[in-house]
Amino acid sequence: MATTTTTTTATATAPAAANTNTVPTPTPPHPRPAAAPAPRAPSNLGPVKSEAPPTPSSTTAATAAATTTASGAEDPSNIITVPSYSAWFSFDSIHDTERRLLPEFFEGEAAAGLGCRGPDAYKYYRNTLIRRFRARPGRRLTLTECRRGLVGDVGSVRRVFDFLEEWGLINYGALPSGSKQAKERREEAVSQSSLPSGVAAPRKLCTACRSVCGLAYYACEKADISLCARCFVCNKYRPGLTAAAFKRIEITEDAKSDWTDKETLHLLEAVLHYREDWKKVSGHVGSRSEKDCIARFIRLPFGEQFMEPKEDRMGFENDDDITDDPGAGVSKRLCLTPLADASNPIMAQVAFLSAIVGSDAASAAAQAAISAQSRVDLNDGEIDSSINSNMEEESSHTNGLSVNDLLKEAASNARAQLEKERNSIEQSLSDIVDIQMKEIQDKICHFEHKEMLMEKERQQRQCLRDLLFADQLAILHHQRRPQAVATESKYDEKPKPVINIS
Amino acid sequence: MKTVSLGASRPSTVSFRMPTRDNLVPIRVDLEVDGQRYRDAFTWNPRDPDSEIISFAKRTAKDLKLPANFVPQMLQSIQGQIAEFRSYEGQEMQIKEKIVPLKIDLRVNNTVIRDQFLWDIGNLDSDPEEFARTLCDDLNITDPEVGPAIAVSIREQLYEIASQSVSVMREKQLSKKGRRAPEFSSNSKAVNNAVDLFKYFGSKGSVIRKRKEWYLYEPVVDVVANEEDGKEETNNSSRPKKRAEEKVASLQ
Repeated sequence: MATTTTTTTATATAPAAANTNTVPTPTPPHPRPAAAPAPRAPSNLGPVKSEAPPTPSSTTAATAAATTTASGAEDPSNIITVPSYSAWFSFDSIHDTERRLLPEFFEGEAAAGLGCRGPDAYKYYRNTLIRRFRARPGRRLTLTECRRGLVGDVGSVRRVFDFLEEWGLINYGALPSGSKQAKERREEAVSQSSLPSGVAAPRKLCTACRSVCGLAYYACEKADISLCARCFVCNKYRPGLTAAAFKRIEITEDAKSDWTDKETLHLLEAVLHYREDWKKVSGHVGSRSEKDCIARFIRLPFGEQFMEPKEDRMGFENDDDITDDPGAGVSKRLCLTPLADASNPIMAQVAFLSAIVGSDAASAAAQAAISAQSRVDLNDGEIDSSINSNMEEESSHTNGLSVNDLLKEAASNARAQLEKERNSIEQSLSDIVDIQMKEIQDKICHFEHKEMLMEKERQQRQCLRDLLFADQLAILHHQRRPQAVATESKYDEKPKPVINIS
Repeated sequence: MKTVSLGASRPSTVSFRMPTRDNLVPIRVDLEVDGQRYRDAFTWNPRDPDSEIISFAKRTAKDLKLPANFVPQMLQSIQGQIAEFRSYEGQEMQIKEKIVPLKIDLRVNNTVIRDQFLWDIGNLDSDPEEFARTLCDDLNITDPEVGPAIAVSIREQLYEIASQSVSVMREKQLSKKGRRAPEFSSNSKAVNNAVDLFKYFGSKGSVIRKRKEWYLYEPVVDVVANEEDGKEETNNSSRPKKRAEEKVASLQ
């Protein structure tokens, strides 16, 4: 797992919680298909996002989400970003941080867990607030509209709201209604861009290394993880996932700021004049950086002519590109291998070479290199280590090892993985058992509660019976006064002396 | 021979509090400043410090984009109601096992809800919030603002009953010291409406409601589509009708 930055609690976060730093809007646990009138968002989004949730309060929210999804197949505003220091959050559980900072819900009389003061109430407030925010992530929630929709006392709601806002689980990157704080936060998150300040779309952040993804990123549908190219290659994802589970997605920079015709015209003129000098071109265009100009230029329909015809040799995952029209061929040019983003110049070269050569040749070369290395004890530079690095893991292991050691190592690796599997199975079994136990316990609690009520009722009835009996006695007493003296003394020690017999 | 009402069996006196699990005060604010109307109802915890009231008022005004001269009036109203609650707090009130009928008759945004039910004010563990949540869930009410409105309405009625029992206690202590007599001297509406448990569940009656009375106790929820706010609804109840807050000048 990549290094997590500035988390105050150094607990080993569960993988599920930790990896969902960019979380698509989750579905609520109580869907109400009959009641919610708004249409559902279509499910033809990119692989990252699930459909916009049918929250009951969001007639406007659902239609807003529907219009944003209609505008582009991959819409950044559907992605919820959560700061790394709040990676512990999960809908189903309460974290230590929350217990520490909001003790009113968890200590003292509230520990009984009931009413407006217990952990259940806290969860209800928290989950409702977060779902409400995520239904419209661009919009800033105000305390007043939230507390009007929450059953409970406003003091507690305010405290939960402030806590969530401070930790970025609410109103993070939301369009500010005049607050400077959110603006600054958004500007921090956007490291290098030409975003005008009114746009609310946050940049795509890698789940693992928390940096802004560059040209493209890899998204895993199953676990809702997005990795930048570097992290993907470094295999910084959970052991349960394979590289095949990830799909490559381009970041269309045009979506951020559309090029007007005028700008495009300027661009073309400039290119005509200055050929390849992009500095001058960007100067001519005016408000666009060099990179933007280049990107835009290549995307233009005829940009292909100006490039070397290398498309047939590009074989890396081209089918998944979701770029705009200027031809799949053009985008293949950008479709360099994952390592294109790497800062290491050697790696970049290797990536380039392997991209040129093609995957088969590259893998064959790597194999040959490995076998050659295994024969030689030293790892001197005679073997092309640059091609080797395509298979990173093996290369780091095969440096200087013999075949036997390799085998031993592989066997121990296999054993370790087996252990891991076994452990995870045991873990899930014990989790299941825990959940069942919890269910049973809840039922028992419920029944105990009911029993208590029944007991109370029984006592009341008994009390009534006693009263009735006392009444009957009184009647007898009145009727037969002299004889009743003896019987009266018997019932002197009645436990309920409040009966006025007059 | 007089009927022994159940009230005489176990009247315990406690210091004043809301007869619910959480001792929360219902607060209703209704202001008009410079032509702008602000109506709101919410639940407040009287244990929160006073500084909290000030920051709450300011925040509400900011969120709703109300002009600054709303804030002092809002403060005054809220603090007044809390002070009134606190003035009751030193005194004693009687807890009886009394079942009172409560009514809900609200309109929140576009949802109209009417209901009546029996509530045990002797049960100090009752929870109007839970009741409101469950009611909204069961009736599939989509508007989240209905829940709090129901909870506040229930609390207001309970508050009224509780404060009346305090004044009754005071009367009794002043006039009839030392004599325990069952309650028949108060003329408050709530006590009159209270159902004598013994009579109700006595030998003749059964706990199960008669079928022809069911419709009286069934909640009614209507969703009206953008009707005029001035529409009145007739209701033949003895208690004054309560209307919920209406939406303030645009939220955002």
